[in-house]
Amino acid sequence: MASSTKARRDWIGSAIDQYQARLIRFASRITGDVESARDVVQDTFLRLCREDLDLIRDHLPAWLFRVCRNRALDVRKKESPLQALDDDGISALEEPGVGPHARLEQDADARLVRAALDLLPAAQQEVLRLRFQEELSYKEISGVTGHSVGSVGFLIHDGIKKLRARLRPEEPARRPEGERADA
Amino acid sequence: MHEEPREEDLTAYALGELDGEARTAVEEVLARSAAARREVEEVRAVAARLRGTFASVPPEALTPAQRAAVEAEAAREPRSRRRSWSIAAALAAGVAASLVVVAVTFVPLRREALPRVYQGNQPLTYEPPHIARPAPAPPPKAAQRMSNEAFEKLKALGYVQGSPDGFEQNALSKDVDEFARSSAPFNTEAYDHIRDNAFVLVAQDPRSTFSVDVDTASYSNVRRFLRDGQLPPKDAVRVEELINYFPYAYEPPTGAVPFAVHMETAACPWKPTHRLVRIGLKGREVPRGERPQSNLVFLIDISGSMDAPNKLPLVKAALRMLVAELRPEDRVAIVVYAGAEGLALPSTPVADKAAILSAIETLSPGGTTHGSAGIRLAYETAAANFIEGGVNRVILATDGDFNVGVTSAGELVRLIEAKRKSGVFLTALGFGMGNLKDATLEKLADHGNGNYAYIDNLAEARKVFVEQVGGTLVTIAKDVKLQVEFNPAQVKAFRLVGYENRVLAHQDFNDDTRDAGDIGAGHTVTALYEIVPPGVDIDVPGVDPLKYQPPAGRGQTSGSGELLTLKLRYKQPDSDHSARLDVPVEDSGQSFEEASADFRFAAAVAGFGMALRDSVYKGDASLRTSEAWARGALGEDEGGHRAELVSLIAQARRLAPNR
Repeated sequence: MASSTKARRDWIGSAIDQYQARLIRFASRITGDVESARDVVQDTFLRLCREDLDLIRDHLPAWLFRVCRNRALDVRKKESPLQALDDDGISALEEPGVGPHARLEQDADARLVRAALDLLPAAQQEVLRLRFQEELSYKEISGVTGHSVGSVGFLIHDGIKKLRARLRPEEPARRPEGERADA
Repeated sequence: MHEEPREEDLTAYALGELDGEARTAVEEVLARSAAARREVEEVRAVAARLRGTFASVPPEALTPAQRAAVEAEAAREPRSRRRSWSIAAALAAGVAASLVVVAVTFVPLRREALPRVYQGNQPLTYEPPHIARPAPAPPPKAAQRMSNEAFEKLKALGYVQGSPDGFEQNALSKDVDEFARSSAPFNTEAYDHIRDNAFVLVAQDPRSTFSVDVDTASYSNVRRFLRDGQLPPKDAVRVEELINYFPYAYEPPTGAVPFAVHMETAACPWKPTHRLVRIGLKGREVPRGERPQSNLVFLIDISGSMDAPNKLPLVKAALRMLVAELRPEDRVAIVVYAGAEGLALPSTPVADKAAILSAIETLSPGGTTHGSAGIRLAYETAAANFIEGGVNRVILATDGDFNVGVTSAGELVRLIEAKRKSGVFLTALGFGMGNLKDATLEKLADHGNGNYAYIDNLAEARKVFVEQVGGTLVTIAKDVKLQVEFNPAQVKAFRLVGYENRVLAHQDFNDDTRDAGDIGAGHTVTALYEIVPPGVDIDVPGVDPLKYQPPAGRGQTSGSGELLTLKLRYKQPDSDHSARLDVPVEDSGQSFEEASADFRFAAAVAGFGMALRDSVYKGDASLRTSEAWARGALGEDEGGHRAELVSLIAQARRLAPNR
């Protein structure tokens, strides 16, 4: 099956259908713009073409996100070499694809959650997104980011705890800027 | 693990990350600590809000030229690709693509991504075996910038050298992808047309008869569409399956009847002059320790169409989850079907878990689908290992794309019906997208004493095989039929909300040979009737006033104040004879706001379904009102399923602001 050229092409085509939007969204949070994110994602799929699909098919998303992340970080490092890998630059981005009109429509809870999220360090936001946006498991996230499974567990636990505290009705969701350093 | 698990462990547990001993340890703590249970619930609540926040996927995609370049690369002969990968070939692929799509600024590749062969200023060699190329294209100048430094950097990141997949091979093969998202067209999916049940005048026909339905596939399918940024086709929205997706907090039965009946009446939120009656059934819970021994046959479609990231790998992950829930004395066999059917694993006790897991692991796709032969073999295997008084069940996992052999739904249904008499039950699991044959699978499950779920991601697999494993495996009552008789003194007309393809002829109610739906352990079944009280004009489409009939007849008990009587027929799982239950109901007269959270939530889901279907009966039900009703009825929301609905409705509103 994978040896048949057509099947291979179809398989990769369906992988593109399924993952391109998610990978572009993920990469553009790192690179800062959708155009270079597209290039990164194209590279990711080109790399996929070179692999033995039988070894990858069972853990495709983790593979894709890992390769995509490394490519994106590399591109970003190249474009702004002074930025550290895990600084807050990642979080500065707006949710891609959400235009001003759509944003008005966005429900109030999402806005609250987003505001609270923005106060977390970028590395923690990334892990939370991989877990709750991409639905990767701790192990997969560990594979994607290089953090140990234990650290992933801690980052998620701690992130949820902080979000809980900030999203409690009696507490304001906004905090002074200094809060970032503590996380 | 410590006496008290660390906080992180509770979080990991709440997110479904623990298994084995770690999970058992947390469960022990949860059993005795209300604080720990609360903690887990709060973590899940935050998780649901995060998911809601992240739910929308922007419809970004590769440019056509970028995609063409990847597909050209994918189509290259694997052997030569691996032996002599060359940057030139990839470039030529890009060039070939850009010949079709005129794109001057097309930058197909980041050169550093392909460092293995191109080094420094070496001349580029072209060896693209399968790519037509009019003339050797000069390498873009960017290619010259490739540096060893970049290579080393990538190598340091673990990106280019050695076996980049090695790390996942062991660690990650357990968990597969969660969702299927795409903007691809769904042009080969098949849904049967659904016409909303109409209002029926009680003077014309005071009875309504239907079969229960615990299927939930329509909800997961609708969710897939919305998350993909598309409105689902109307016929993919089966309101009763949306309603029944959600657990409701109905009390379980205490007596000999295997389920409890809970009725509630309140004002109809989408038509305030109407009343809404909720019928709620709750199946007896069967704790894991009391579950009868199981004899399961997995029937796995390994045809070529299953070779997609969200199909066979997800099937494998789902089966691994199920095997983890089974007990050592349970048995599992695996039958595969494609070009030819075959027994991939003879019936094996779960005590030998390694053999089962390794058989699951080695499943690989190939061939075309010949469903009927596989189904026969699976039933034969189940019959050969039949456990008297146990759970005997075939679990079919497929995209339903039966395209060879017995392909007409009718023939398959007859085959399944014949097999049903053997006492073996069927669970149909739909996977994948694009060619999901929803109608075929639902019919199979309906006719095979079965249930049907659509599994679009790991979380859904967990719901079916972990959270509700008892209900999925253990049937506590079969052929459950409901007949409602309305009191003409209290009801002018009625309409059954949903259950369009479950409506039975009245005479089928007492006919024990007529198949009907089953209820699994702990399952809840919810049905809603919209009722027009006497004195309220029926300004609904499809109902003409009767010209010749006398006014509503008055039976002896019509003055009782009763609104209706619910009659139920059901069979014990191993019996061919039904028992009957009658439950009369009076209208409490309560307003919608006074109704229970379960009632209001079910009404919200119905409103959502009607809005998606753009039903002529939707009245004031819109996505906006449904969202408000749902938001006000979240209740305990264990598992965060209700919160998910709220975010899903919000997503639908973005797609269809006017529904």
